[in-house]
Amino acid sequence: MKSPKIVEELKPFFEPKAVAIIGATNKKGKVGNVIFENFKRNKEQGIFKGNIYPVNPKLDEIEGYRVYKSVKELPDDTDLAVIAIPAPFVPNTMREIAEKGIKAVVIITGGFGELGEEGKKMEEEILQIAKENGIRVIGPNCVGVYVPDTGVDTVFLPEEKMDRPKSGSIAFVSQSGAFAAAMLDWAALAGIGIGKMVSYGNKIDVDDADLMDYFIYDDSIKVVTLYIEGVKEGRKFIEAAKRITKVKPVIALKSGRTEYGAKAASSHTGSLAGADVIYDAVFKQTGILRAEDFEHMFDVAKAFAKCKLPKGDRIGIITDGGGAGVMASDAVAKFGLKMAELSEETIKYLKEHFPPHAVAGNPTDVVGDTDAQRYKHAIEAFVNDPNVDAIVVIVLFQVPLLNEEEIIEILADYAKKSEKPIVAVAMGGKKTEYYAKILEEKGVPVYPTPERGVRAVAGLVHYTKYLEKLKEE
Amino acid sequence: MKEEALKVVEEVLAQGRKALVEYEAKQVLKAYGLPLPEEKLAKTLEEAIKYANEIGYPVVMKLMSPQILHKSDAKVVMLNIKNDEELKQKWEEIHENARKYRPDAEILGVLIAPMLKPGREIIIGVTEDPQFGHAIMFGLGGIFVEILKDVTFRIIPIEEKDAWAMIKSIKGYPILAGARGEPPADMKAIVDMMLKVSELVDDLKDYIKEMDLNPVFVYPEGEGAVIVDARIILK
Repeated sequence: MKSPKIVEELKPFFEPKAVAIIGATNKKGKVGNVIFENFKRNKEQGIFKGNIYPVNPKLDEIEGYRVYKSVKELPDDTDLAVIAIPAPFVPNTMREIAEKGIKAVVIITGGFGELGEEGKKMEEEILQIAKENGIRVIGPNCVGVYVPDTGVDTVFLPEEKMDRPKSGSIAFVSQSGAFAAAMLDWAALAGIGIGKMVSYGNKIDVDDADLMDYFIYDDSIKVVTLYIEGVKEGRKFIEAAKRITKVKPVIALKSGRTEYGAKAASSHTGSLAGADVIYDAVFKQTGILRAEDFEHMFDVAKAFAKCKLPKGDRIGIITDGGGAGVMASDAVAKFGLKMAELSEETIKYLKEHFPPHAVAGNPTDVVGDTDAQRYKHAIEAFVNDPNVDAIVVIVLFQVPLLNEEEIIEILADYAKKSEKPIVAVAMGGKKTEYYAKILEEKGVPVYPTPERGVRAVAGLVHYTKYLEKLKEE
Repeated sequence: MKEEALKVVEEVLAQGRKALVEYEAKQVLKAYGLPLPEEKLAKTLEEAIKYANEIGYPVVMKLMSPQILHKSDAKVVMLNIKNDEELKQKWEEIHENARKYRPDAEILGVLIAPMLKPGREIIIGVTEDPQFGHAIMFGLGGIFVEILKDVTFRIIPIEEKDAWAMIKSIKGYPILAGARGEPPADMKAIVDMMLKVSELVDDLKDYIKEMDLNPVFVYPEGEGAVIVDARIILK
């Protein structure tokens, strides 16, 4: 099957055959140096498989790589250009790129529309060259693209200052470069896998809608996260969002309330329609889940990346601490979910396998003297109970008789074989964090509080409900 | 596109106006089959008496003037008029009030409307967002919209499922569903109105800036709804 146009157009950004780094330099800490070093490092590690062509009229070679004096000299296999030269030189370089026939350009350089009229004019000029020559542009004023699987890394923050996250099935799209960089660094620490990151900055061309369309066809991506400050082409955004949410979940974090809401309106409706309620409407209408903050966004994304979708909204809670169970139950109500009513068989099974002081119910409390096997009985019963759609297992690793490795194996095993989503909540300190990380690497999303665990499940449930509504039509 | 609606809009624009008076707004709504009271615009007292008798007393009188958009402030709405005698008297009064409020007021006529049976009040509105285009708003009328701002928006055009989701998403939904022993409101009628407004605005999106249907009376299930007052602002 022939790939859709958008896939053909954007593919060089994510898996180029050869990348030209325009403005590459040997001066440490310079943007053109960091980007060059990123590609070089990934090439040496066998991750980046394409060719690297530094471009700089003043140099002959950088660290053993031949440097090209101009874009004209570049070999013909160049299919991606990364521009890191001062803004006034960019339009001319774009013309050379057009002549060379390169169709994908990332403009890292800032100093364009964000600074005023002069910069806006340059952006218009660049865009016109791009449109006339079928070139797609990411940026300007951005950190560009990060793809751990192919070694594309235009993030100009050096590796010794900013960790890169491992590969995963979450796509992360960010208008802000600083936020993108901070999130990548944080995701690396949190063990969250990112499949593709795009930060588009001033987005004169490639925007959220284009990327959503691309991700529809990208099998490595299971869930898309968006950090948005403002949408320029509203209708295009809505159409693309509706297309992708039919097949993949999208979670958006929207910041920045504009002055629009405060403007004088001559109707009642106008006075009530701030920009924020309009975004709310757009997200609801297109099935995009709206995140309250970045933790919420990645909590839900992690659940989509690792869990199956629930069939309904009835939640079963297993805990070894009564307080944590109550907190989880409160969260179930708060996020619009239901506590599952366990079947008689489940209650019977639990009572048979539990000591008299453990609580068979929802929440099921395996209590503080639990071992891993008591958890196993509870999870087994919940997995088999037709009244339970999703399971939240709270593990306070601190209890004395609980073998950490054993409970981790049990959870990982059920998470893999059960048709229901299973998330874990582990509250505690350093030791808990250590085990939580192992559990997560084995494919179970782990949350530091019951509330965040349940909120992540709520994201899964709301998306399931959206899909069901689509099917009803 | 309904030609009758476009004609009204173009006539208003030709007169250099941006705001449609209630009567004009209702002509636009009528073209799209929205539920309206049986109303007539009387240009003379004789016409007013004739229409009032056709509609049947008690009636309501509303003076239509492009210069008077806040009718209650100008006291140009007269409720519960019971007979010809009272109508004659109010006819004078309503014109005098208009002249007092705006001596330059151009008077298009007086709308003669039936006294409507009260229903649960809702508001349906439209606004335009610079990025996403027109959005439709739904909420319960009165204090719910004024004070609690219990309203919800969707981008136009909407689908039937969007309309239902909007109705069910407001906090005041139980009032429509039938709280305290009341029968449920005619929600199908609300959905139908919202879809028609969506179609109307989508057709006339190059002309319409904002719209308020406020209040709309909604009656119990199967008994429909009626738009009591309406305003449309053009771009």
